[in-house]
Amino acid sequence: MADYPTLQAFAEDIYTCNRTRCGFCTVECPVFHVKRLETYASRGRMLAARGLLEGVIEPSAELQAVMDDCLMCGYCQARCALNNLDIFASVRQELRAAGFSSPKHEKTAIKILEQGTLFDRPAPFHREGTTPLYLGCAYQTKPHEVRTIVSVLEKVGIDPLVTDEVCCSYIVGAVGFADEFEQAQDRFRQVYGPHLDGEILTVCPTCTATLHGEYHLAAKHALIVVAERLADMRIKPLDMQVTYHDPCHLGRMLGVIEEPRQILRALGIKVVEMEHHGVFSTCCGGGGGLLDVDRNMAIEVSKNRIRDAVAVGAKTIVTACPTCQPTLLRGAGRLANELGYFVDVLDLWELLDKALD
Amino acid sequence: MTDSEKLDAALAELQAFLGERATATPMHRMAYSRDWSPRFRDMTDLPDIVAVPHNTDEVVEIVHVALKYELPVIPFAGGTGMGGGVVAWKGGIMIETKGMNKVLEIDPDNMSVTVQAGITIWELNEHLAPHGLWLPHQPESKRACTVGASIGVDNDSTFGVRYGKILDCLTNIVVVTGRGEAVRMGHRKASFSSTGYNLMHLFVAAEGTLGVVTEATLRVVTLPKTRQVRGWVFPTLIAGARALERTLASGLSVESAHLNCRQRLHFYTHAYREKYHREPEIPDWAESILFLSFAGDEDVVDFGLRKARQILEGEYKGELVREQEMVEGYWDSKHRLDFIAFKQKWPDSQREKKFGSADVGVPMGRLEEMYHAFLEISAKYEQQILGMTVYNESPNKVSPSISFAIFVDDSTEDKVRNFFGYVREMSLKAVELEGTMSTYIGDGDRLGGFNIHEHGLSYEYMKDVKALFDPKNILNPGKKFESRWIEP
Repeated sequence: MADYPTLQAFAEDIYTCNRTRCGFCTVECPVFHVKRLETYASRGRMLAARGLLEGVIEPSAELQAVMDDCLMCGYCQARCALNNLDIFASVRQELRAAGFSSPKHEKTAIKILEQGTLFDRPAPFHREGTTPLYLGCAYQTKPHEVRTIVSVLEKVGIDPLVTDEVCCSYIVGAVGFADEFEQAQDRFRQVYGPHLDGEILTVCPTCTATLHGEYHLAAKHALIVVAERLADMRIKPLDMQVTYHDPCHLGRMLGVIEEPRQILRALGIKVVEMEHHGVFSTCCGGGGGLLDVDRNMAIEVSKNRIRDAVAVGAKTIVTACPTCQPTLLRGAGRLANELGYFVDVLDLWELLDKALD
Repeated sequence: MTDSEKLDAALAELQAFLGERATATPMHRMAYSRDWSPRFRDMTDLPDIVAVPHNTDEVVEIVHVALKYELPVIPFAGGTGMGGGVVAWKGGIMIETKGMNKVLEIDPDNMSVTVQAGITIWELNEHLAPHGLWLPHQPESKRACTVGASIGVDNDSTFGVRYGKILDCLTNIVVVTGRGEAVRMGHRKASFSSTGYNLMHLFVAAEGTLGVVTEATLRVVTLPKTRQVRGWVFPTLIAGARALERTLASGLSVESAHLNCRQRLHFYTHAYREKYHREPEIPDWAESILFLSFAGDEDVVDFGLRKARQILEGEYKGELVREQEMVEGYWDSKHRLDFIAFKQKWPDSQREKKFGSADVGVPMGRLEEMYHAFLEISAKYEQQILGMTVYNESPNKVSPSISFAIFVDDSTEDKVRNFFGYVREMSLKAVELEGTMSTYIGDGDRLGGFNIHEHGLSYEYMKDVKALFDPKNILNPGKKFESRWIEP
């Protein structure tokens, strides 16, 4: 029996899945949907995990590549009550301990640990105000989008305070760098220390889920606050029909499903639902660092999500995530020739800013 | 050539046309090492190679390679089988059929759809819904189960009492036989044919031992506008069955009909108690519960429900279950699949013990006898009872396909073998009662050879059929004529 201490802690979950094989997690997994090979779906990964525990398979670069081909989107976990995502992170952790990890992920972790940010970005955005607003790395690279968000918040009567911030480091933990994730959390607490005891508004779904679930902070997605205040606002209705793509962290993991739809309806927009939405929405392709390690797979997943929209006659997708929007736009671009038209992907904040007086 | 050299050569030939879609990497083989059937904890059956074809031509090529190197070929689909039908216990090439998942034609004028056989029932119905159509063959495993898997094992269907099972939907199939030929068989899009032999029927429940089904044309039906589901309790099992027979004889169109024993009834009352923190008002005398659904236009469904109540409550003294939430809970688990695996508390959890079943069929008049045998045999083998469910799978008939379900202790090989002892004895009892050993799981790696007790001389003809379609015995060997669990 091989010794994998962190994985061993999940042995009962792994054996429970192995003896069951219900397959609820399989066909609709966005990666399996492309690969059509069990190893890429949750129940196949669970058998691979058991193979490691029993010494039937050994750590290898091939296993690491398969494990990296996961969006960590949580679709499988929503269909199951086992700790699927923790198990996958644990397998990655064990693989890394055995010397197998993606150089891209190593580079990302080093960058976050050394520089406190996931992406190179322009001068950090700061704003004096009263309500802490944590932007996160992705939005920090998008000054136009940040100005739009701040504009909307100001219109609904919020005075956002944006100060120095470092990366929430979600990706470091998700891809199996457990020790580094703890270091990153310590630094986050040092930098963001003055605001840790009160409510923090957030705009990135992934940062929100991480600050809430891993740091146990009172992080609240700003769209919830906007939805609460919308009834008192003057709105110029937008005559549109769209479908809404639930970002995995916002919808499935934080349960913020109704609020974005409530906002869209308040803006006069008709919402057509895709087959997979809400808790069972499927990923845009940008989750779990997949874009870094298997860009082709990420794009195929993204194209499939565009196809979901096309299947219900939608030519415009609205979302509320700095990763989902560009990823879906990439998929829409790749699919435009096949479809004969371009499916547009808009950010909900942009529509809010247009419609609010 | 050594076995190892054969495998290397076969893999090289497969990769020449499948590329990365053919692999012998242990992690991929591990992902195909079992299905849902009872196995002891660390039992593993690794295929030698996993291949993911995308069309019939590629399956033909795979079978040619298998013939050349005399390697087993095992078609894998939903992986939810409970009898070991897809377990590669003789090694060989595992064909992952879910790579063949295209809808080839939707033909609403002829109420027909043609698909690659690796599409799941769930995916197919997503394609059909915009056309107002659905495939009424609906196994409980439909999220993972494919059209090909349904053909392969002739599995259950929630709506069997109205629409029958997969064979009632099939009009033709394409099969790659053990000779390496792709053959279309059946009756095109016509509903029946009396020309030639009905070879297509041989492939239903053949478990991939005669060929790999790669395409299927199916009759589909209009999605019903509305549906109502209700439950009634009865003082005996047979009263529930007789009441159902009378309801069908009245001319009513019943969409689904599941009769459950007292233990299964307690499964549902327990789930209700856990969820709603209330005691359901189920009378102590209740020995069975019959769930019926009616579907179609609203006024017809309303009439059907009223008429059914007259019969079930007036003539057979059934009592309507007042807790409709309990009935909806049952329907969530049977049709909507609106639940989260493993989240349920006892008795629906498989964390400690897993489900296992003897899936025998007996004629309606022997139900009580079979049920009492179930109580005795499960006690003899010290199996913890989950309960008995009688599915009805033939249109407009009481047509028992029965799950005698228990919780299997799968912690050791001896305990799993003890479970198969229970299956063996239940199977013999079913045959004694003029029934069959299996109605929806199939022979798998458990009943092959032992099934001679059911088939007698016809078993010898089955061997000839096998030799006709699979002369080198490469297709899913170790099934139908051989068991690793139950001695003949």
